[in-house]
Amino acid sequence: MKLKNWALLLAFGLILSVLAACGGGSSEKPSDNAGKGTEGTATEGENVLNFVNGDTIPSMDPSLATDEYGFQFLGTTMEGLYRLGENAQIQEGIAIDHTVSDDGLTWTFNLREDAKWSNGDPVTANDFVYAWQRAVNPDTGSEYGPYMMNGVIKNATAISTGEAPVEDLGVKADGDYTLVVELENPTAYFESLTTFGTFLPLNQKFVEEQGDKFATSSDTLLANGPFILKDWESTSNSWNLVKNDDYWDADTVQLDKMTYEVVKKPQTGVDLYEAGTVDRAPLSSDLVDQYATHEDYTVEPQTAMYFLKMNETRNEALANTNIRAAISRAFDKEAIVNEILNNGSLVANGILPSDFSRMPEDSPEAGTDFREVNGDLVTYDVDAALEYWNKGLEELGTDAVELELLGDDGESAKVMGEYLSNQLSTTLPGLTVTLKNVPFKQRLDLDSNMDYDLLISGWGPDYLDPYTFLNLFLTDGDNNKMGYSNPKYDELINATTTELATDNAARYENFLEAEKVLFEDAAIAPIYQKAVAQLVSPKVQGVIVNPFGATYEYKWASVGSAE
Amino acid sequence: MFRYILQRLFYMLITLFIIATVTFFMMKMLPGSPLSAEDKLSEEQKAIVLEKYGLNDPVPVQYLRYMGGLVKGDLGVSFAFDNTPVTKILMDRMGPSLQLGFQSLLIGSFIGIILGLIAAVFRNGAIDYTSTIIAVLGSSIPNFVFAGILQYVFAVRLEWFPVALWGGFEYSILPTIALMIFPMATAARFIRTEMVDVLNSNFILTARAKGISEVGVVFKHGLRNGLIPLITVIGPMAVSMMTGSMVIEQIFAIPGIGEQFVTSVTLNDYPTIMGTTLLFAFLFVVIILIIDLLYGLIDPRIRVSGGNS
Amino acid sequence: MATNDQNKIPKELLVPLVRKEDTSEKISGPSRTFMQDARRAFFKNKLAVISVFLVVIIILMSIFGPQMNEYGTDDQDLTRAKMPPHVPVLEKISWLGLDGTLSGKYRGNDVEAATANAIARYDNKEEFIDIKVVDEGDGSRNSAVVDATYHIYDAKDMSDQYFWLGTDTLGRDQWTRLWEGTRVSLIIAFVAAVIGLVVGVAYGGIAGFYGGKVDNVMMRIIEILVGIPNLVVVLLMMLVLQPGITSIVVALSITGWTGMARIVRGEVLKLKNQEFVLAARTLGQSNGKVIMKHLLPNISGIIIINTMFTIPDAIFFEAFLSFIGLGIVPPDASLGSLINAGFDNLRLYPYLLVYPAVLISLIMIAFNLIGDGLRDAFDPKMHK
Repeated sequence: MKLKNWALLLAFGLILSVLAACGGGSSEKPSDNAGKGTEGTATEGENVLNFVNGDTIPSMDPSLATDEYGFQFLGTTMEGLYRLGENAQIQEGIAIDHTVSDDGLTWTFNLREDAKWSNGDPVTANDFVYAWQRAVNPDTGSEYGPYMMNGVIKNATAISTGEAPVEDLGVKADGDYTLVVELENPTAYFESLTTFGTFLPLNQKFVEEQGDKFATSSDTLLANGPFILKDWESTSNSWNLVKNDDYWDADTVQLDKMTYEVVKKPQTGVDLYEAGTVDRAPLSSDLVDQYATHEDYTVEPQTAMYFLKMNETRNEALANTNIRAAISRAFDKEAIVNEILNNGSLVANGILPSDFSRMPEDSPEAGTDFREVNGDLVTYDVDAALEYWNKGLEELGTDAVELELLGDDGESAKVMGEYLSNQLSTTLPGLTVTLKNVPFKQRLDLDSNMDYDLLISGWGPDYLDPYTFLNLFLTDGDNNKMGYSNPKYDELINATTTELATDNAARYENFLEAEKVLFEDAAIAPIYQKAVAQLVSPKVQGVIVNPFGATYEYKWASVGSAE
Repeated sequence: MFRYILQRLFYMLITLFIIATVTFFMMKMLPGSPLSAEDKLSEEQKAIVLEKYGLNDPVPVQYLRYMGGLVKGDLGVSFAFDNTPVTKILMDRMGPSLQLGFQSLLIGSFIGIILGLIAAVFRNGAIDYTSTIIAVLGSSIPNFVFAGILQYVFAVRLEWFPVALWGGFEYSILPTIALMIFPMATAARFIRTEMVDVLNSNFILTARAKGISEVGVVFKHGLRNGLIPLITVIGPMAVSMMTGSMVIEQIFAIPGIGEQFVTSVTLNDYPTIMGTTLLFAFLFVVIILIIDLLYGLIDPRIRVSGGNS
Repeated sequence: MATNDQNKIPKELLVPLVRKEDTSEKISGPSRTFMQDARRAFFKNKLAVISVFLVVIIILMSIFGPQMNEYGTDDQDLTRAKMPPHVPVLEKISWLGLDGTLSGKYRGNDVEAATANAIARYDNKEEFIDIKVVDEGDGSRNSAVVDATYHIYDAKDMSDQYFWLGTDTLGRDQWTRLWEGTRVSLIIAFVAAVIGLVVGVAYGGIAGFYGGKVDNVMMRIIEILVGIPNLVVVLLMMLVLQPGITSIVVALSITGWTGMARIVRGEVLKLKNQEFVLAARTLGQSNGKVIMKHLLPNISGIIIINTMFTIPDAIFFEAFLSFIGLGIVPPDASLGSLINAGFDNLRLYPYLLVYPAVLISLIMIAFNLIGDGLRDAFDPKMHK
C-alpha cells in the first residue's frame, strides 16, 4: 500500500512536470516578443509611439486582405500608385503623375525610378501588373479583388469568373516605369481607388519564391512603404513597425518605431493608457462618461453610416411606402447618438456621410459638402411618423403590425437594438417589434437570404465617390437584399458610370437626385454616422485619419512632447 | 494489464474519431461561410471563391478529404489567418493557456488541500466554517467579476502588477490568481469531505491508539488516503483549466487558446475549430485514461472490475 | 427442625411470577427512518437551514419583486439613464450609497482645475455638486484632488422618484430587471437540472444495472458527448430553435446530464452486487421492482445532492453565454446578462454590477451550502 502510494505520487508528479515543461517551452516565444516591444519604449532619443490594436492582423497579403487591420498595416508598410494625404488629397506614391485619355478609358501612370522593395529590388510597373492579375485570378481566392476591380478594370469580371485568361486584364507595363490601365467604364474615382490595399504592387519573384508562406510572417513580407513590419507572425499579439530607410521619401518620415499590442477590451486599453504603456486608447460609450473631461479626450469622426434596412419582400407591411416612411421617422436619433453611442457619432438624415465627398469643381455648389447640399432628407418627427403610419395602416386595412428586428453585434449595438425596438413599438400604435440577436455569421446569412424584416446595417466607403454608397440600392445590387427597386433610381445611378461618366458635375447632380428618390421611397431609415472616441496622448502628432482604406496614415506623423 | 491498455487505446481512437465526425458535421450546419467579406460579394462571385477552397463540394466529400489529411497528421490551413497552418495556431495559442492553467491548478489545489485539511481536522469549529465559506465563495463568485476586481485593485490602483498583456512571469500572476479560485474551492471541499471520512476510519483510530502525534496522524496516515480520490476530480478540471478560460484571457488580453476558439467559431474558421476540438478531446481522453490507469495501479479491486467491463 | 423452619416459607408468599415483557432490548426512543434521521441532521446544520430560507426568499422575490414598484421591465427613458440607487428613508444614511448621488475623485493641476473637471463631468450643474478638497496640490500635473458628490436626482428634478437599485443605460429600473432576471435564471437552472436529473438517472441507472458491454458502450458515448465543444452545440441550438430561454435550456441539457449519469452509474454498480439486492433477486423480484424498490431509494441521496450542485452550474453557464453575447434575448434579462452589462460599467457605475453579482453569488452559495448540508445529512457516518 505504502509503496503504491508513492508510485502514484511519483506518476502524478511526472505528468505535472511534463505539462509544466510543455507550458514553459511554448510560452517562451510570446514573452520574448512582448519583451522586445516594451523595451523599445524605453529607448531614449528615438521617436517611438505605442499603440493598441483591437485584434490580430489576419492577413498581410494585399490580394487576400479584407479587414480593417489588414488594410491598415498594408497601407503603412506598402505604397501603391498614390497615397491619401490630409483631407483625402491624393499624394504622390510610386506614381509621379498620370494622364487620362479623352474617353476616360485609358490611364497612363508614370512611375518613379527610385522606389525600392526592402530586399533592394526596384518597384516596377510589372509589380502592379502581377499584383492586379493575381487579385482577380480565381485561383487566388481573393474576395476584395473581384469586388474592387470587376466592372472597373477591363476584363476583370470575365477573368474572375474564369472565362478569360488573366493576361487579358486591362493593365500593361510599358517599360519598367510606365503603367497603362484600361478601364471597363470611365471611372471618375479611379485615382482614389489606386490608394486602396487591393491595388498595391507585389514583387513577383519574391511572392512566387515564398509560395504558401508568403505574408505569413515578417520574414516572408516585402515593404516598399514608409515602415517595415517586424516581429510579426500571423497569430502574433504584438508587433513593431520600424522606419524603412530605403523608402523613396524616407526623409519625410519622422517616426522611428511604432509598437502594437492586441487588446480587445476597451477598459484594458484605457488602463494601459493610464499606466503610460500606450499612447492611444479607444473608449466604449460607457467609458466616455468617465473620460469625456479628460484632457486627452478626442473624438474622431469617421465615414461609416448605420441605417435600418427594411425588407420589402417578407412582410407585406414593409412593402408599403407609408409604413416605411413612418418607421424611418419614429425613433429619436439624437438620443441614440448622445446617450447610447455617446462617442461623438452624428445623427444621420441621409445615406451619404458628412465630410466625405465635396461637390466637384465645375458644379454650381463647387466645394460644398454633399451632405450640406442635399440637407436632411428624413428626420425624427413623431407627428409626421404617426400621419404616415395611420395612412399606411389604412392602405393595408389592418391595425396591428408585427415586425422582427435583427440586431447587430458591434459595440453598443445590442443596447441600440433594444432601444430601437422599444421606440418603434411605443411611438407607432399597433406596432410590435421583437428583437432577434444572433451571432454575426448567422446575421449575414439571414441578410443575404432576405430572411428578416428590419436589420441594423452599416456601410463604410471603399473609395472617394458617392457611388460607393449609392450603388448599394440598385435593383440588382449585390448588397440591396431588401427588395428595393425603383427604375428612376437605377437610371440615375447607372448614368453616372456610363454616359455621364466623364462629366463629374452632372454625375453629382444625379447623385443628389438619386438620394432624394431613395428617401421619397423611404427605402432605408438612416440612424447615425460613426465616430470614435479615444484618449490620444499629446505625443501622437500628425496622424491623418483617412475616410476609407487604411484608417490611419503615419507617414507624416511625429512624436510631440508628452506634457 | 497490457491488454487492457491496448483495449483502452483502441477505444480512445474510436472516441476521437466519432468526436471529429460529429463536430465536423455539426460545424458545417452553422450558417454562413468562412469568407470575411461575404456581404460584399455577389452570390456568383462567392461561389467562385468557395470553389477555390473546396467548400462547394458536398459535405461528405469535404469530410473524407479532412479525415484523409488528419490521418497524415495534417490539420489544414486556417481561413481566418491566411495561409497559416492550424498546427501553428494551436502551438502559439496553447502556450499561455497551458502555463496559466498549470500554475493555477497547482497553486489552487495546494491551497485548497490545506484549507480542506484544516476544515476537516477542526470540524464544525469556527475554522471549518471560515474555510467552508472561503471555498463556497470561491466556487460561487463568477471568475470574471473576481478578475475585474483583481485587475482594478492590484494593477490599476496599486500598480503592483502589469494591467494586462502577456510577457514575463509577472504578467501571469493576476490571471493565475483569478483562475486558481475554482480549483482551490473544489479541492478544499473535496478534501474536507474525504478527510472527515478518513479521520473516522479504523486505521486512524489504530494510529491514534498507538500514540502517534496528531500531526503525524493527519499528514502521514490521513492526508495520503484522502488525496487519492482527488485525482478523479482534478483530471477533468486540469483539461478545462489548460484549454483556457476565454473570459479571463480577454480581460487580461492574453493570447490563449480559449479566446482563439470562440473567435474561430464566430468566424466559421472550420479547420481551426476542428483542430482545437480535436486537441481538447485528445487531452481529455488521455487524462481520463491516465487517471483510470493510476487508479488501477493503486486499487486492485478497480483494476479487476475495470479490466473486465 | 428449627433450621428447617427457616426454609419454611408460607405458601401464600409463593405467587406465580407474572411474565413481564423483556425490556432490555426495547428501543426507548421513537423509531426513526433513515429519512427522518437525515432530516434531523440537516436541520441541525445552521448554514444549510439559513440557505434554504434564503432560496425561498429569493424565489418569492423573483415572483413578487417586479411588482413592488411601478416600473416595468422595458420602460425605457434615456433622460433617466444610469441613475444611482435611491431608497426612501435609507437615503439619509450616506455611507450606504443609496442616497441617489454619484461621486468621484477628480484631479487637476490645482483645486480650481480639478473642480472644473468635476463640474464638467456632472453635466455642468454646479449648484447640485458638493466639492470637498482632498489635496490642494502643488501646481504640478494632476496633483490636486477633489471629492465631488453630485445630487443627480435633485439636478434632474426627480427627488421624489425612487429607483431602489438605480437605472441602467436605457433608464430602466434595475430593481425590476434584477428580479425578473433572477426569475429567468432560476427557471433556466431548474429546468436544466430537472432534465439533467431525469436523463442522467435513467441513463446512468441502465448503464450501471446492466453492466458489461451495455455499460461500456454507454460510457464511451458519454465520453464523446463531453468531447464535443459546448459552444458549437449552443450555436447550433440557437439556429435550430429561436434564440432564447428554450435554446439555452436545451443546450445546457444536452451535455448537462452526463455528470449525473456517471455518478448514478457508479452507485448502481456498487449497490447491485450487495446482499439485499441479491436477496431480492433470489426471491424472484423483477428487474423493474429491484430498481424501483431497492436501488433508487438507496441512491436518492446522492441524486438530490448532485442536483443541488447542478443548479449553480447552470446559472454559471448561462452567465458565461451572456458574457460572450449568446445568452438571453433582450429586452428580457437574466442575471448573466445584467452582470455582463454591469461589467462594462464597473468603474463608474459599480451599482449596475454589484447587485446582480451579489445576488448570483448568494444563490450559488445557498445552493452549494444546501448541497453540502444534504450530503452530510445523507451520510450515515455523520449521524451522531
